[in-house]
Amino acid sequence: MQSYEYYAPRSLPDALEYLAENAKNCRIIAGGTDLIPALRNEDIHPAFLLNIMEIAEVGGISETEQTVRIGAITTFNDLAESGLIRKEFPILSEMALSVGGPQTRNRGTIGGNIASAAPAADGLPVFLSLDAEVELSSRRGKRNLPLNEAIAKAWTPAWGNDELITAIRIKKLPSGTRTAFYKLARRQAMARSRMTISLILRRDPAGIIEELRFVPGSVMPVPRRMEEIEKLLTGKVPTDELLDQAARAVGEEMVKVTGIRWSTGYKKPVLGNLFRIVLSQLITAG
Amino acid sequence: MKKRGIGYGSMFYGLGYGFSRTDIASATLEISQDGSIIARSGEVDYGQGSDTVFCQIIAEELGVDYSAIKLITADTDVTPDSGPTSASRLTFVGGNAFIKTSRSLKKILNGVAEDILGASDLVFREGMVFSRSAPEKSISFKKLAGRAYARGVPAVVTEWYNNTTQDVDPETGQGDAYATYCWATQMAEVEVDTETGRVEVLRIVAVTDVGKALNPLNCEAQIEGGVVQGLGYALEEEIKEEGGYVKTGTLGEYMIPTSLDIPTIEVHLLEVTEPKGPYGAKGVGEPALIPTPPAVLNAVRDALGLRIHKLPANLENVYHLINGAEAGN
Ligand SMILES: Cc1cc2nc3c(=O)[nH]c(=O)nc-3n(C[C@H](O)[C@H](O)[C@H](O)COP(=O)(O)OP(=O)(O)OC[C@H]3O[C@@H](n4cnc5c(N)ncnc54)[C@H](O)[C@@H]3O)c2cc1C
Repeated sequence: MQSYEYYAPRSLPDALEYLAENAKNCRIIAGGTDLIPALRNEDIHPAFLLNIMEIAEVGGISETEQTVRIGAITTFNDLAESGLIRKEFPILSEMALSVGGPQTRNRGTIGGNIASAAPAADGLPVFLSLDAEVELSSRRGKRNLPLNEAIAKAWTPAWGNDELITAIRIKKLPSGTRTAFYKLARRQAMARSRMTISLILRRDPAGIIEELRFVPGSVMPVPRRMEEIEKLLTGKVPTDELLDQAARAVGEEMVKVTGIRWSTGYKKPVLGNLFRIVLSQLITAG
Repeated sequence: MKKRGIGYGSMFYGLGYGFSRTDIASATLEISQDGSIIARSGEVDYGQGSDTVFCQIIAEELGVDYSAIKLITADTDVTPDSGPTSASRLTFVGGNAFIKTSRSLKKILNGVAEDILGASDLVFREGMVFSRSAPEKSISFKKLAGRAYARGVPAVVTEWYNNTTQDVDPETGQGDAYATYCWATQMAEVEVDTETGRVEVLRIVAVTDVGKALNPLNCEAQIEGGVVQGLGYALEEEIKEEGGYVKTGTLGEYMIPTSLDIPTIEVHLLEVTEPKGPYGAKGVGEPALIPTPPAVLNAVRDALGLRIHKLPANLENVYHLINGAEAGN
């Protein structure tokens, strides 16, 4: 058992004040699905615990003409149940439903998923494929940071310890854009991803790929867009040969980042296969 | 590409300990003056439903309502030795012990009832004891218990059932090693994704000779549970160890199927009466699980034309089987 001071304010300024005062030894707790196991395992020893689940400004899903703002304490089930999300970013709904089990989805939040920065996180790669921004708040003020600059290394955010994520912001996708999320795991629920594929695709009427964004999950220490692969396909008609070529390149790109590990013999070819399968399905779907 | 296959697994299984190893169960019944019955057994019900079946047996023998029985099990302070809870033996050995005990108790009560009713063709049914030829000669089981108590006849009975068998011939290994044998066959239909190595089980059909289904729902549930355990064995379960430390020490790492991984399971109960069994019943526990892995792995072979020798048949092992490489880990 550990002991720590626990604070659950209702106002954001109160929370930010508390965080700034105790920054060094304070941990934010949202759903607690990553944090509580870490406390139990004695991986972390905070002196202060700041619960942000009672703060209205950190929740809710809203839209403007151009963007959608998703509060950091939005749970996976909130996300899955949102009509706005299903309409604008079905990839997020699919991802949300693939997480853990019903209990995990009731508690786990998107802010916590990003802040944990786990290599096997399911939310993080999808938000990266959507070119999301994190809205960070602190006593010093508010700033927006592109998500691809927000993770320093595995398990480590790049923002200050007096800051917290208040929301995720995503630009709406141009019409005709299709998205897909695929999770390969050892079982159908309560399973860490073995690999995930997040794809955003838009083609012109002639079938030429205008835009492709691809983020593999669970294969690199920090997920990121595979721009080399995106470039290989953008501006082209995705023929079978081209897709095969891209699938092979996906494995090569992965190995450039990870080097050869025990799992490479499996992950290298299979990541390419999954990329080809999921992309082909997106293409035939429209 | 997704490839489908069908496979079968069949088994027979010796029930109990066999080979002249001691295989006994005792059971105790105590009757109160209000007709309620306290039963004691050392057998453990860890979900398989043996408590239910024991109470059914006592109720059947004494012609009383199931709810009249209070069963105390697996408490070494108060319960008799019934042998271990293993070897699919509980219904068979423990159940037979309760039949013997119930009949001994009934004999005592029958003597009292004969005396009270002046009839000797007594039937115990639905909480009543009455003469078959003159049903108006009757007394309720509860009243009978009170009268028996007043007369001071024994109210506690313990019997035991000995299921110990002959050994086989030490020279030839031949002989009838077990009291009885259980039989089961299962069919599995699978779909293998050749590009990821994922095996999805689409359907299991399980046919089990249960002797006599004392509680058909229990038998079905037991078989479904066994199939699920067998699926985990075939496809997921693996203890990984590194430098002497188990790396799969939690159920987050040691994979067993979730409810979303379970295919349609079609259960068929075959009732081939076993003369030594309680009302003809045999054991169901282990026979439910044994045919599942071979059925699944044979189905994988049918789908791929390749036989997997490294378990579990998980993503990596199946993918490397298809692609001819040895699994890295
Ligand atoms: C049984 C189980 C199954 C799981 N399955 C999956 C799965 O399938 N896929 C998956 O991706 N994850 C899974 N997880 C992991 C976990 O549920 C997710 O990572 C979840 O999104 C974490 O969110 P949370 O709100 O619970 O975070 P918490 O545990 O509350 O916090 C996690 C970390 O983020 C920090 N933090 C939280 N909110 C903020 C914020 N707003 N600003 C700054 N820092 C913050 C905390 O300080 C902490 O370091 C699973 C966990 C469990 C226990």
